[in-house]
Amino acid sequence: MNPDLSVRIGNLVLPNPVGVASGTFGYGSEYESLMDVDALGALYTKAVTPEPRPGNEVPRIVETPSGMLNSIGLANPGLEAFVRDKLPELRRRRCPVLVNVAGASEDDYLRVLERLEPEDGISGYEINVSCPNVSHGGLAFGTDPALVERLTARLKRSLRSARPLIVKLSPNVTDIAEIARAAESGGADAVSCINTLVGMVIDVDRRRPRLARGTGGLSGPAIRPVGVACAFRVSRAVAIPVVGIGGILEARDALEYLLAGARAVQVGTGNFRDPGTAARVLEGIRDWMVRNGASRMEDIPGMLDA
Amino acid sequence: MRRFDTPVLENRELSRDYRRIEVEWPGDAGTPAPGAFLTVGVSGTTDPLLRRPFAFSGYDPREGRAAFIFQIRGPATRLLSERRPGTVLDVLGPLGSGFPDPAPGSLPVLVGGGIGLGPLVFAAREFRLRAAAGGWEAPVLVLGFRTADQVPALDLPEGSVLCTDDGSAGFRGTAVEAAERAAAGGRYGPDAPPVFYACGPAPMMAALDRRAASLGASYWAAVEQWMACGVGACLGCAVRLKDGSFARACAEGPVFDGTSIDWGAM
Repeated sequence: MNPDLSVRIGNLVLPNPVGVASGTFGYGSEYESLMDVDALGALYTKAVTPEPRPGNEVPRIVETPSGMLNSIGLANPGLEAFVRDKLPELRRRRCPVLVNVAGASEDDYLRVLERLEPEDGISGYEINVSCPNVSHGGLAFGTDPALVERLTARLKRSLRSARPLIVKLSPNVTDIAEIARAAESGGADAVSCINTLVGMVIDVDRRRPRLARGTGGLSGPAIRPVGVACAFRVSRAVAIPVVGIGGILEARDALEYLLAGARAVQVGTGNFRDPGTAARVLEGIRDWMVRNGASRMEDIPGMLDA
Repeated sequence: MRRFDTPVLENRELSRDYRRIEVEWPGDAGTPAPGAFLTVGVSGTTDPLLRRPFAFSGYDPREGRAAFIFQIRGPATRLLSERRPGTVLDVLGPLGSGFPDPAPGSLPVLVGGGIGLGPLVFAAREFRLRAAAGGWEAPVLVLGFRTADQVPALDLPEGSVLCTDDGSAGFRGTAVEAAERAAAGGRYGPDAPPVFYACGPAPMMAALDRRAASLGASYWAAVEQWMACGVGACLGCAVRLKDGSFARACAEGPVFDGTSIDWGAM
């Protein structure tokens, strides 16, 4: 039996459940010679903001026990340069391309969506209301259910296409399920979780933070149990699909998310360690499904004994 | 660029602090160049998690061998120091830009500070081999260390200059002072303008920037920065340029026009 690995999100059908997370895969071409980018279930781009952003001061990254902190600061060439320089190569992709959208105000998000709507080669949008590394916007939206619902509703209304809207949630909140429900009420087609956890490392010899900005976002296997718990709680709070993210290096890690209730996953920090991670994870999910008698992705959540 | 598992051929202590690993490097994996680098997966567990970048210190295409020099600084390099010949290493490369060739008629002055020596030792060999064909002078290699016990057991090209901060080996003084003497003195006059190549600590790189400016010399700098992906995707390894913008050490670099880097921000 060959399991059906496809996943439906809104009107979009992903060929398989394993995507690569925004900010860890550039625009795809960076990994071209190292793996089959077109075989991905989904490619989530680096965040696009209306204006170019140079990003934060350096150092921007530091390794932590089984993880890393980053403080990139949504560095990107801006909306117009994205359309001009990045979109043409993304259009040639045979995998679904989801553009990650960020901004400092509601109007920023709207501006990016309205500009991208008439452009070909985009399968959907991931709305980043959870970046911990910028002073305005980002996490400021993602921690307030009223703001999340209003932003989601405004963006959803502005869409002319049938492209799905995925809201990317932050774990840096008291109740992630409440934020997920707000996104669903606003009309989100799915939610992805989790973005990074706020963290800090201090160099005790120099008596200063290791990151120039002080704090950063923690990712990697260290946060996996947090991500799995979030996926578990969120998938029970909303009816829309959940995309699980956080510390996936192996198929077993992804299967934790899928059993917890996620319909698909994203590999993030794992790409840095091994560019072949997404392909290996997908292969392992397929094998597990065959061994455990799951014929479709929707079968997996119900197989959890909890 | 490729990721592959390849046998370790040698893992040798060069001095108190430094080691050199040589691996099999198949011809179809791309050509390692001086200044370019590879990343190494150091553990099968999640800690350390990330790959570690190292500049190539040599490549022998005939024998199919590539080498890098590293310093034991933390758990990842400690693990690497314990890798035995015959075991396989997870490598990804070659990555990044290499050093440009010296201009015809110029004198290449190669300056390595501490663990920055690897790419300069590699460049010195290459530039020496190709000096006649390229029309540049035989290169001068200057290596600076804190103390004599750091000085690596390596076959250095003829005419190499060693210096230590405390004078315990070679000249007493900094590599920059020694490089400046090499650039200014003897046969090196206006007919053979110096071109600096360097890798080392930020204060040394900044001092060379000032020297290059005062001499009107070209300056090619290989930078060191923390890296996550190594392939240009994560933007973690940014370096600040003097014009206020950022560039990726792994993709635009690691070799930059040294006069364009904001060394104060490194």
